Amino acid sequence: MSAPLLSCAVASMHRGLLLPSEANNEAAPELEELAATLPEVFGTADPGCLERVAARLGAEQGGGNFSQVLFLSESRVHVIQALERREGEALVAVSPSGRSVGLVLSLVQARAAELEEER
Amino acid sequence: MTAAGVPSSRYLSSIPASPAISSAVQRVLGYIDDLPAGATGALNFGLHGMILLQSRKICWAVARTMRLRLTDLLRNQSTPPVSREAVEQVYRRCKASGTPIGEALVASGLATEAGLRAALFKHNGDAIVALARAGAAPDDWVTHTKPGYDPKYSFSACEVLAMVGSLDDPARAAAAQVELANMLVPDSVGAAFTRGTDASGSLVIAVDRGCDFAVADLVGTCNWVAGLFDVAQTFDQEVFAARVHFGTQAGLVTWRSKDVGYVGMCGSRAAAARLVSRLSERGVRSSGVMPRGSHERESPA
Repeated sequence: MSAPLLSCAVASMHRGLLLPSEANNEAAPELEELAATLPEVFGTADPGCLERVAARLGAEQGGGNFSQVLFLSESRVHVIQALERREGEALVAVSPSGRSVGLVLSLVQARAAELEEER
Repeated sequence: MTAAGVPSSRYLSSIPASPAISSAVQRVLGYIDDLPAGATGALNFGLHGMILLQSRKICWAVARTMRLRLTDLLRNQSTPPVSREAVEQVYRRCKASGTPIGEALVASGLATEAGLRAALFKHNGDAIVALARAGAAPDDWVTHTKPGYDPKYSFSACEVLAMVGSLDDPARAAAAQVELANMLVPDSVGAAFTRGTDASGSLVIAVDRGCDFAVADLVGTCNWVAGLFDVAQTFDQEVFAARVHFGTQAGLVTWRSKDVGYVGMCGSRAAAARLVSRLSERGVRSSGVMPRGSHERESPA
């Protein structure tokens, strides 16, 4: 099985913009659209509410901070992966392989780990 | 009763459907959520009524303005109704022994467990709606030391909230209950909700029996996941499900079907993955944003 095509880029959670970098210069336009949602996705949640829900679900303390958001559609997988060691930054990724969620997530996590190592 | 053990809407018709009432009920249920975990006792609302709780679950509620009694509800579950004399005999025994009347009726064969649960659900729901409509606030909390109620006849605040929300469209709520029962996986609990055009936010219309969060947190979570779908429209109008991971374990999975939103709250990543997998297999596909205004009908209060 061939690896799914994965486009990814690093974006600012607060400004909703792709961060300038060599890799991001060739980012797919849909990554810009995904990045633009970051302030909304990360900024509108009531942290207390999610924290309490997460705690009831057995999450560790501080579990109200979400680390990954995955969107599924018929033809695409979109992923937002918060970069733990790069505060305020997230990896945004899109793959046309709507049926290979596990593989896409593995690739995203591997890319996120690389980016965090770079720091 | 539905497969999920939730009473059918025919038991609930005396409560008017209204988002305004749902908000008022949310306020009353918030008083219960404010009690410490495991609270067992009586929450008194002055002359308006009271709610009995066991481990912060609703066992019994009564309001001064209520018309139907539990025994009437139980008697009328049979055709012809169980005789008043038979019920009163059990009542007299219960009064002498201090045992709950509902459970004694089941033991005597005059009611079924499912019938008792349905009748209690309606009775307690009616009482809480009556307290909400009266604008009642608790003035006293009396702790009880001995648990006296069977947990299977108690209800979470979320169940009561969903019961009130379901009255807007009972058929849709029943379908949502079935959807939750079919889709949720072990180590997950869930809720179904609709949205309005006003600022009232999500209207919770169904929950599974294990859903026992603070009602404000449940509504807040529903509002937030509904917003996730809104933002997803900006990059992909075909998004039908989303998953959010919290920390290293817990997660939320949200999906929509027709005009109803769903959220599954998962205690492990494995549960979230299974739920996503189940959704992917089924290929939930419902294009467009969940329409607003699906609970706009106001009934005269």
